[in-house]
Amino acid sequence: MIHVQQLTKHYADLRRGKLVALDGISFDARPGEIYGLLGPNGAGKTTALRIISTVLRPTGGSVTVAGADVLTQPSQVRRQIGFMSANTGVYDRMTAWEIVEYFGRLHGLDDETLKGRMEHLFQRLQMNEIRDLLGAKMSTGMKQKVSIARALVHDPPVLIFDEATSGLDVLVARALLKTVAELREQGKCVLFSTHIMREAEKLCDRLAIVHRGRILAEGGLDELRDRHDQRDLEELFFQLISQHDEREQALTAAATGDER
Amino acid sequence: MTWTNVKLVLHREVRDQLRDRRTLFMIAVLPLLLYPLLGMSMFQVLQFVSEHATRVQVIGAERLPESPKLIEDHQFAASLFSEPSKAKLLEVTLVQAEDDAESSSARTKSGAVAEQARHLVEQGECETVVYFPPDFAERLKAFRDSLADREHESPGAKELAVPSPEIYFNTAKEKSQITHGRVSLVLDRWREAIGRQNLATSHLPESTAKPFKVAEHDVAEEGGHRDAAVWSKLLPFLLLIWALTGAFYPAIDLCAGEKERGTLETLLSSPAERSEIVWGKLLTVMAFSMASAVLNLISMGVTGSFVVGMLSKQIGPPPMLTPLWLLIALVPMSALFSALCLALAAFAKSSKEGQYYLMPLMLVTMPLVILPMAPGVELTLGNSLIPVTGVVLLLRAMLEGNYWHALPFVAPVAGVTLACCLWAIRWAIDQFNSESVLFRESERLDMGLWLRHLLRDRGDTPSPAMALFCGVLILLVQFFMNFALHSSMPQAESFHDLLMLVMISQLVVVLTPALLMTVMLTRSPRQTLLLRRPPLLSLPAAALLAVCLHPVVARFGELVQYLYPVRGEVSEHLSQLLSQAPSVWHLLLLLAVAPAVCEEFAFRGFMLSGLRHIGHKWWAIAISSLFFGILHGVLQQSIVAATVGLVIGYLAVQSGSLFPCMLFHLVHNSLTVLPAAFSSQEFEGFKEALAELAKRVLPAASSPEELVRHPFPEWFVRQTAEGGYAFGWPAVVLGGLLSIGLLAWFRSLPYARTAEETLQDALEHQSAPAAAN
Repeated sequence: MIHVQQLTKHYADLRRGKLVALDGISFDARPGEIYGLLGPNGAGKTTALRIISTVLRPTGGSVTVAGADVLTQPSQVRRQIGFMSANTGVYDRMTAWEIVEYFGRLHGLDDETLKGRMEHLFQRLQMNEIRDLLGAKMSTGMKQKVSIARALVHDPPVLIFDEATSGLDVLVARALLKTVAELREQGKCVLFSTHIMREAEKLCDRLAIVHRGRILAEGGLDELRDRHDQRDLEELFFQLISQHDEREQALTAAATGDER
Repeated sequence: MTWTNVKLVLHREVRDQLRDRRTLFMIAVLPLLLYPLLGMSMFQVLQFVSEHATRVQVIGAERLPESPKLIEDHQFAASLFSEPSKAKLLEVTLVQAEDDAESSSARTKSGAVAEQARHLVEQGECETVVYFPPDFAERLKAFRDSLADREHESPGAKELAVPSPEIYFNTAKEKSQITHGRVSLVLDRWREAIGRQNLATSHLPESTAKPFKVAEHDVAEEGGHRDAAVWSKLLPFLLLIWALTGAFYPAIDLCAGEKERGTLETLLSSPAERSEIVWGKLLTVMAFSMASAVLNLISMGVTGSFVVGMLSKQIGPPPMLTPLWLLIALVPMSALFSALCLALAAFAKSSKEGQYYLMPLMLVTMPLVILPMAPGVELTLGNSLIPVTGVVLLLRAMLEGNYWHALPFVAPVAGVTLACCLWAIRWAIDQFNSESVLFRESERLDMGLWLRHLLRDRGDTPSPAMALFCGVLILLVQFFMNFALHSSMPQAESFHDLLMLVMISQLVVVLTPALLMTVMLTRSPRQTLLLRRPPLLSLPAAALLAVCLHPVVARFGELVQYLYPVRGEVSEHLSQLLSQAPSVWHLLLLLAVAPAVCEEFAFRGFMLSGLRHIGHKWWAIAISSLFFGILHGVLQQSIVAATVGLVIGYLAVQSGSLFPCMLFHLVHNSLTVLPAAFSSQEFEGFKEALAELAKRVLPAASSPEELVRHPFPEWFVRQTAEGGYAFGWPAVVLGGLLSIGLLAWFRSLPYARTAEETLQDALEHQSAPAAAN
């Protein structure tokens, strides 16, 4: 469903010169599974997800979502996805109902389908009491609910969650994770990025550990545990990252040694 | 692009703006409050001016003559006012004069009075001081007596001078100024009364001083036309100012505001395409811009009619059809301003940053709006082609009721405005497509770091920003170089001076920046400057194209000169200098070779290579041509050069090499220089040889010399009085057709696209199947 091949993204940075945000990552996410991107802050998760949702353009490599290329067929890609992130905002001067309705219409839903979908979503996400509340007056949890409803309104086959639980209290976060798990049951392809081990452990069928724009390890949770002989995901994560950093340091030292 | 999405975006944005108190205040409440307030304060000021009494001190009133009376009952005589009741507006205080005829010398006397008067005015004890010198009445009487005795005396009798009364006032104080105006009017009337008495004593009729009256006739019909003229200057100006301000604030909220609140990313990942988002936002901004302008005009109209109606009957209401014309003009202007504001606002990272862009936008727009208000600027074809100015002038003509005069200019004004609108909208969409604009992060400003970044991270070819910088740099250097040269060498005196000037401007101003930037900012100078072997046939094709296009360009130049006539002196001086050229080769070097090499390196080399990273080759060609045009200094030349620049730019893109461009430029410039040179002595031998050749090849020709001198029939090309050539329509048409053929050949060449151009092509093709889904 999501096919990422050798994806790279460079930024120009005044201080550091060419900044490599993504350095050739490849993975596949299939329908009916939750694929996790696990990595520390600044690993390149958000960049990757922004490229998949066509908001940014890749520097190299290719990404296809449901068969459409993100670079050359962005509008087809956008039809297939629901995108939600911690920093996707909610319009201040619109009510919850209006916001969800607006995006439903942008997705080309007709009146009847839209009404049905919205009633269903507002019911399921328990949003009926905030139906007529303006965005400016919502709490973070309410806003998050609206964002989920907004991402789900057109019933897309692919869903992308970028650090979706950051800033949420335990109750709301739990509810969100439950919703995501339900989406898997419905056969959606879910891409879920997080830096919280517990979430990844609980939710993801397969995951990729991302660090400094690269994938350090990839596979099913048990597969990873067996391969690296480490049952605890947090330990595993830490081990992989420190190994990588040590290798890098050794390489840099060798390179500077050669120059001398 | 589908209208459903545009409508959705529009609908949402309008609702959003209407729920925003700040916007509503700016657009609806402010105008409703502003004008009544302004009107009221103006009313009060005027009332003060007309009704408030002011104080005058009269020094030496005892020296006034008995008749006619200037002062009665401690007031100026009521008969000296147009309305006797107005005498109360000047409160008179009489002061005994301290100087006496017998006292000290005249000079110190007047000095003391001036000091006293200045003191009084400055201390605010009164607003104006009037002083009558000693013996005023006596000397006036003596003067009158001399008039009466005139009949008995010889005509050569000496004139008796009457000393001048003096008025002291202070222009720095408004009250004092007003008082001065009132007092001097009174004194004028009084002096006239004295004059009339004098005439009576001399037994002369009153008409002696004013033997006739000048009858004045204003042909402006019954005030209607005059009012129209006033309104037609004022209303378009106000309309455009409000259209611009009305567009600005919503635009910032719609773009920068959305970035700030984090909703933009959501919108961008929805199926609405960038162009749909921009159109939706644009229409919203436009609606608010128009609403703001209309509300302001209505509010101003209502207040204005009250205030004007109360104060004076001089200006009548604007003509009947005014609202209609204003509305029609408002639509395109709002569209243009809205698109400009939107593009600027899209660039801004935050609302605060957005506010900073209002000033530059105003600075660019204001001259265009104010230009039509300058005296003598009328609706001509040339003016109608200037954006904004054209619309204002057309609107003025419509308001004044000169429909038939305005009609021919509707098409050019509409064309230019439409082109500008499309350009601005395109720019706005490009801003929304650029991720560096949408996800701009603030960085610490550090020139050193930035320069290092430029050098370290340079690409094979320059970026569009570098290309634009190069263009601006060239124009700036040219501007200052002109200044410097002008001060050291006010006017080129000889051909040698001219040679120096042109060479300096070509080598220093044009070539050096381009080459320096190429070497420093790019990794592949060869690729940047298009120093590649061109397709074999493209060289002769370019030369031939220059020849074929020559008549067309010449005709176009004439048209431009007709639209914007050139001042004769400059070109005369130039051709005089050129005629001093030692040889044709000097001329060619100066006017053909040097520009062909230097300008091509700069404009088709560095600039075009950089601009092509925009992703649209025609945009790149157009922008580089624009700079190429501006370099030529004189407007008329600029227009022609920019047009020719389009052709050369196309050659550069299609052939991928700079050499065909240089050749085209060389041939094109030579053809403009050579005809004048060809009549010079040097070519005599050449011409004779040609005649000899013609004799051999065409033995039947009646006179080979004639054939060489005039190889073409008159209707094709003929020599003009100035030694140049003028082309007939057949030559223009033939040249045009051949040029189209040659350009078609260039079009068939496979050209190397930049990565951005390939992507744009792909994107344009993807939207078609997507829309069908």
